[in-house]
Amino acid sequence: MVDPFRNRTVIACLMLPGLAVLAFALLVPLGFSVHFSLTDSAGFGAYQYVGLDNYRSIFTDDPVFWRSLRNVLLLIAVTVLVQNPIAFLLAAILARLSARVSRVLRTIYFVPAVLSLVIVARMWVDIFNPTFGALDKGLRAVGLDALAVSWLSDPRTALGAVIWIITWQGFGWALLFYYAGLMTVPRELEEAARVDGASWFQVYTRVVIPYLVPVISTVVVIDVISSMKQMELIYLTTAGAPGQLTQFLAVYLYQKAFVAGEYGYGNAISVLFVIISVTLTVLVQRVLRALPDEK
Amino acid sequence: MRRARTVAGMGAIHVGLVLFAFLQLFPLLWVFVYSLQRSGDLFGNDLLRLPDDPQWSNYARAWVDGRVVRYGLNSLIVVSAATAASTFLSFCMGYAIARMRWRLRRLAMGAITMGMVVPIHATLLPNFIWFGYFGLIDTRIGLVIPYVAFTLSFNTLVYAGHLRNLPVALEEAALVDGASWPRVLWSVVAPLATPATVTVAVMTFLACWNEFIMANTYLASDDLRTLPFSIIRFEGEYSSDYAVQFACMVIVAVPALALYLFFSRHIMAGATAGAVRE
Amino acid sequence: MMKRTAFLALALATALLPASRAAAQTKVTLKMGDNLPDRTNTWGAIVEQINKEFKAAHPGVEIVTESYLDQPYQQKVKIYATARQLPDVFKFWSFTSLLKPLIDGGFVAPLVRADFEGLGYLPGALDANTYGGKLYGIPVSTDLWVIYYNKKLFKEAGVERVPATVDELIALVPRFKARGIIPMTTDGKDAWPLSVTFDQLAWRISGDRTLPRQALERKVKFTDPVFVQAARELQRMVKSGLFQEDLMVSDYGAARNLFGQGKAAMYLMGSWELGLAAGNTFSAEFRASVDVFKFPTVTGGKGTIDDLFAWYGGNYVVSASSKNVALGRQYLLFYARRFPVLAWEKQAALPAQTVKPRPSDTPLARSILRIVAEARATSGTPALDLSTPRFKDDAENAVRELCSGLITPEAYVKKLDKAAEKAARK
Repeated sequence: MVDPFRNRTVIACLMLPGLAVLAFALLVPLGFSVHFSLTDSAGFGAYQYVGLDNYRSIFTDDPVFWRSLRNVLLLIAVTVLVQNPIAFLLAAILARLSARVSRVLRTIYFVPAVLSLVIVARMWVDIFNPTFGALDKGLRAVGLDALAVSWLSDPRTALGAVIWIITWQGFGWALLFYYAGLMTVPRELEEAARVDGASWFQVYTRVVIPYLVPVISTVVVIDVISSMKQMELIYLTTAGAPGQLTQFLAVYLYQKAFVAGEYGYGNAISVLFVIISVTLTVLVQRVLRALPDEK
Repeated sequence: MRRARTVAGMGAIHVGLVLFAFLQLFPLLWVFVYSLQRSGDLFGNDLLRLPDDPQWSNYARAWVDGRVVRYGLNSLIVVSAATAASTFLSFCMGYAIARMRWRLRRLAMGAITMGMVVPIHATLLPNFIWFGYFGLIDTRIGLVIPYVAFTLSFNTLVYAGHLRNLPVALEEAALVDGASWPRVLWSVVAPLATPATVTVAVMTFLACWNEFIMANTYLASDDLRTLPFSIIRFEGEYSSDYAVQFACMVIVAVPALALYLFFSRHIMAGATAGAVRE
Repeated sequence: MMKRTAFLALALATALLPASRAAAQTKVTLKMGDNLPDRTNTWGAIVEQINKEFKAAHPGVEIVTESYLDQPYQQKVKIYATARQLPDVFKFWSFTSLLKPLIDGGFVAPLVRADFEGLGYLPGALDANTYGGKLYGIPVSTDLWVIYYNKKLFKEAGVERVPATVDELIALVPRFKARGIIPMTTDGKDAWPLSVTFDQLAWRISGDRTLPRQALERKVKFTDPVFVQAARELQRMVKSGLFQEDLMVSDYGAARNLFGQGKAAMYLMGSWELGLAAGNTFSAEFRASVDVFKFPTVTGGKGTIDDLFAWYGGNYVVSASSKNVALGRQYLLFYARRFPVLAWEKQAALPAQTVKPRPSDTPLARSILRIVAEARATSGTPALDLSTPRFKDDAENAVRELCSGLITPEAYVKKLDKAAEKAARK
């Protein structure tokens, strides 16, 4: 009998529509992007091929591109090294609470993650506002007038404030992933370690975390991907200000194309952006796969 | 002694948990409180003051001036269509990946994973020209297509993960009985995959419901704009009405929050599928 | 079964939508775009009025308008041009940095200049919209760079007269701050007001309005001492605390609101804000106390207070790819006749055409007319908009850095000069 699970017609019927959508909305546009990145197009009107000029400019004469990239890397670092450990800690605590309390708290912690980015951006712009914002009012109320600055436009705080908004909004996801992971750790493993006289801290460092390496790896990869994809929260808050201190790649390419009228150049950034995203993701995945896995 | 320390420690942990909950909710609370004040009250000195005389009329104005009905309906149409299409297509692909045996499976899997890694923002510029060829700019379908594309990869992986853990015997039995493939997928596999379907549908719906930059780029007509634009309407010229703007933010937040609260368990299940897949 | 029906219904709904939209378009629909989201007050209300009259005069014509704020709107137009979906008639700006690329791309339909010549346009207004000898847009407003102020707040702070020099202006800062009032606001996020102010300062210092243009033509350099001094003055203004604290992230609406809500004493903006004293966006108390004064001089500078920074920015153009180019041209003709009348009647804007002062004019409008009457010389388009879009973007980013205190005035003029050099080479 023919194996029905090898039926090519069925496979084609199942796969092709989806792949067609991906090709139409992702692959072909990327091809277009490569094409336009080799031109001096303004997006409209006639244009000329300029070879690799756009790329050369990016590499030799565009500090903003590199700052945008650096900011993205910084965001990844903050997400992985600050947000994730806090989320992990909180998830570990939640995992020990009663099911009902844990569920209520998890639900609350996740609320920012389901809000529209427009709401999140608008909300924080208003909270950070130096004239009527809640943060500065609060600081002044407790006598910390010196700390009441214009968070989103002061060069000392702007990048921090933007990263804060992004990590605040994304926190729920990190928490959820870790909580879900922690739920899979067999109780017997922990109990055995406790019987052997390990403290709670040791249980986590010696048993739970090694057990969860695959989960942590996956979350880190997701962090990398989602950090690269941040755009709206920057576009709707500082749009790169002050100067270009809070510029990020996704916003920068958009502005180059549609504000500065350098569509070709914007596409060159776009192409590099894709290459960097893919390379970085693959790289991180490789590195994490090399980690010892005790499962 | 040790017990006392533990109690104190537990107390500190509980305080920490509540503080954290407050931190996550405060911005929303602040916006809600001031949505009931007069716009000028925001400039007062109080950090958070409950209104003596709640201005519910702010909500009425936000509802009308924010074109909530029109934009909300637009969102509902576009997002429902995108959710239905994305769920259906990812179910098909997920099944082919999880169950079918074919040579290019790994390659297809790689392509789908790439679809998750490639930042959608890199397609904003070229899609403008590409979609323009088909007259898709400023149409609903022109928004549905990228919405499907950017949710498809993740959804496929969720389905594939779920289906892999289901017993294959039922399908085999049905096929041996001579059931057609569409019938097997619809009547045998789909019911078993319901948990994954709910997760996928809810998460896709929320992601598209909250999407902004593509709607901002691809839509022109006011009559087609989606719900987040209700808030944008209160920027600029109207932005003196902070209270009304805040009311509008609350209005826009409510459907997503309600949907989330109703389906939160499924979202958590989705996270599990995302984090704990091999 | 339920699910299946629901799914089918959705699929059908999406499939049918474009069709049903097309079916509704039995009449001629004129698509329009502008930067006036508020359709109930001042300028936006006037456009609605004109549209109403135009529809009455042309039965069967429907007008659909898309509006965004200034900067998002400019972005949108570029996006629509890219997608070849420009509105039939749209508001734009006469500048080389904005209009010229569209003309070069063949997106703008030329107009017949003779049609518009008898309509009372001020000298130079039509010329600003002329490229390669052809008229492409009709100017709508005369734009002056001025400072609005709140008379009541000035009085409460004990300020007797408006500042005549930048030093005097800066000296007011502590007096307003002591009362919890922001001395001055402007739209810093979009940066162009800062660039215009930089040009204005350079003129006040040098007494030569042509310097920025010369620098763009590479006859002089932006690194010349005049520009360094202008940059220093601008940075000094910002550093003195003159502007709102979040200057660099507050957009047009936010800046305007702080002034309109009586939270700020002054508002640095163009004369198109004449409508602040009319309409009902802000309180009657505010409307009664708003007035305007001339941009102050720089101590020791060669320019005078009556060197007026003025240009013809906003215009209306017809899309060349429109199916209704003829109708679009008719609309512009209609607009050119009605706008100056209505704009002055409602005191919403200073048209690019001659207006007759009336006894009922608001004090603000009278002050603006007086400033125009007393002008000794006018500048023309700001340097920012005299070159390529790329130059504009570079210049805006440079002035953002200057005003954020991230770079020195010397570094700023160097960046500007480099941008000008790049633009000139192209």
